[in-house]
Amino acid sequence: MKKTVPLWVVLGVVVAAFLFTRLGGNRYIYFAGYFVLQYIVLATAWNVLGGYTGYVNFGTAAFFATGAYTALVLILAFKATLPVQIVAGALTAGLLGLGIGYLTLRLRGVFFSIATLALSVVLQTVVSNWEYVGGGKGLSIIRPKAPALFASHAEYLFVVMVLLAAASVALAWWVQNSRVGRGLAAIRDNEEAAECMGVPTLRLKLFATTLSGCLMGVAGTPFPYYVTLVEPGSVFSLDYAVNSLAMPMIGGTTTWVGPVIGAVLLGTAQQVATVTISSELNLLIVGIVLVAFVMLAPQGIVGLVQRLFHRRSR
Amino acid sequence: MAWHGQTGTRRRWIVGVLIGVMALGTAWAPAAQAAEPIKIGFGMALTGALAGNGKAALMAMQMWAEDVNKKGGLLGRPVELVYYDDQTKPAAVPGIYTKLLDVDKVNFIVSGYGTNVIAPLFPIAMERNLVLMGLFGMANNEKLKYKNYFQIMPSGPNPALGWSQGFFEVAAKQQPKPQTIALVGADAEYPHNALVGAREHAKNFGFKVVYDGKYPPSTVDYTPIIRAIKATNPDLVYVASYPPDTAGIIQAAQEVGLPVKMFGGGMVGLQFAALQTKLGSKLNGVVNYEFYVPEPTVNFPGINEFLARYQAQAEKAGVDPLGHYIPPFSYAYVQILGQAVEATKSLDQKKVAEYIQANEFNTIVGKVKFAPNGEWAKSRVLMVQFQNVQGSDVAQFKKAGTRVVLYPEDWKSGTLIYPYSKAQK
Repeated sequence: MKKTVPLWVVLGVVVAAFLFTRLGGNRYIYFAGYFVLQYIVLATAWNVLGGYTGYVNFGTAAFFATGAYTALVLILAFKATLPVQIVAGALTAGLLGLGIGYLTLRLRGVFFSIATLALSVVLQTVVSNWEYVGGGKGLSIIRPKAPALFASHAEYLFVVMVLLAAASVALAWWVQNSRVGRGLAAIRDNEEAAECMGVPTLRLKLFATTLSGCLMGVAGTPFPYYVTLVEPGSVFSLDYAVNSLAMPMIGGTTTWVGPVIGAVLLGTAQQVATVTISSELNLLIVGIVLVAFVMLAPQGIVGLVQRLFHRRSR
Repeated sequence: MAWHGQTGTRRRWIVGVLIGVMALGTAWAPAAQAAEPIKIGFGMALTGALAGNGKAALMAMQMWAEDVNKKGGLLGRPVELVYYDDQTKPAAVPGIYTKLLDVDKVNFIVSGYGTNVIAPLFPIAMERNLVLMGLFGMANNEKLKYKNYFQIMPSGPNPALGWSQGFFEVAAKQQPKPQTIALVGADAEYPHNALVGAREHAKNFGFKVVYDGKYPPSTVDYTPIIRAIKATNPDLVYVASYPPDTAGIIQAAQEVGLPVKMFGGGMVGLQFAALQTKLGSKLNGVVNYEFYVPEPTVNFPGINEFLARYQAQAEKAGVDPLGHYIPPFSYAYVQILGQAVEATKSLDQKKVAEYIQANEFNTIVGKVKFAPNGEWAKSRVLMVQFQNVQGSDVAQFKKAGTRVVLYPEDWKSGTLIYPYSKAQK
């Protein structure tokens, strides 16, 4: 099995998305697509730490917000372009992941999860008191003109999110099929045993928190241009933590494809619920599906399919 | 032959039906086209933090659509409201409005309730040069200066200043004139803006600011804040708060005892029956902003009929039983759009926007004229004082006398009981 996704696959997906935007059509598809793709990035990022390594992170919103606020600061200070914001957001959130990993990875199980939840609360308090980025009331920004190749920001942000989602999935694929992935799986199964076998557990866990944080931050960087308002209540929304955890759980946490399936299914269901039935059912849908999967298919959809195939082959 | 005969009959029958259908189709086509509704699209907070107000606003808008349709619609076409729940989440707004415009093909959009869901709407409206009616947004257009934006909250062309103008005007007229003021508010969007205005007024009116503090919106116990304010011994206390903190602050002020001359100003929540009945007589003496109160001086054509209908439905719908705050204004902002469509006899965004910009409108919240920035040309924030409140009966708030208007002069219905402690007796 190939251990890396060829670059041309990622580029091919992005080019296809770009060509799709050239077909015209209604822009709602791009906004709905952005919503689902954003969750592919977040769920994939969560899965690197939560699924591959077994460390449950409740602080997705903190990393997402780090990306969004890094982008906002760059817009305010330098009128930076989106690619610059993405690179900076990735670095900042990655560094935060590294730092948090270093401080908290001595904690395990529920204690680690509580620490990540606390991170979200601490960061929200910090930005709520930071006047430069609007403090608690938030800040509206004016979007510049969309780049020349795109009719509007809807198309531009959609293609950017396709790129980010494809790159995230490619990275997750690589991690899963590399020595790193096997090391992370060993940590998930039995950390003490892995340590005894010579797996560099601390280094690998730091790698996982850094990569996971970096990808979550990347998902947040286009947020200021998407909503044009950055305020703590939206950016630190509980939705990000709940969805990024539920999606891999539903899709399956042991492979790269699980979070993608979960994000596409749940993200689409939520988007459809928003514009059909009352969207107050959004999180209820997530909750019901999550409970059903935990009880009936704890390995997620991927695990369910694998089990079915396994039975047939017997 | 019989077969041929039958075929011939059948063929004639089919041709006859086809011709009939075509004829009917031709005759009905203009009628069907004429009956095609004018769609007004929006997202509204039906869940989330602002759902209580969002549901009340929606009910008022539906009442307007009913009224218009009873009279034959707009331009002879029925009005249809197309809406989705924005969950009080700004991030949901771009998707919802793009769906409304590109899939549902609405003719006009209006905003949902509140500053934070209006802000993400601007790029969409500006990209397509749409008329954008705003519902209770605070200074959304300050930087953007979008010419097709019209906001219905009557805080005037400079909302931050207009909001608290009355509090300071009333205070400055008292004898002996107050000298010092404490400013306090939640660390959130609205209180931040309101306090900016209050600081400027304090400076202009010559009040010395002895306390200027913010508290996190998640604060539960307000006693330490009130004690800290009391320690500075201010004459006036201006509070900019959201409903949960409003209740907490008033209760803490009662417990601690606040020996000030005027107290209140920008407390959100005191306009609703829920807090009015909860706090009851503790409200006596509080001076606070309002947009409408049932005082004899504040009587606009149609408002009483509207409120009677609204109040009859409110309990069943589970919304604010008084409906004095958001509902009349949410009725009015679609009323203005409707009047502009009728007057221009057009659905053209540019024509409708130009008409709204240039004209004054008679609505159930009075005469409305917009400034170039889309806010009301002149502030009409009422400053009222709670007086004679007894117990927690909601009926007392439906009548005149519990919230007397002190400012502006045009709407004044009573005099301030001064100082605050006197009104509490």
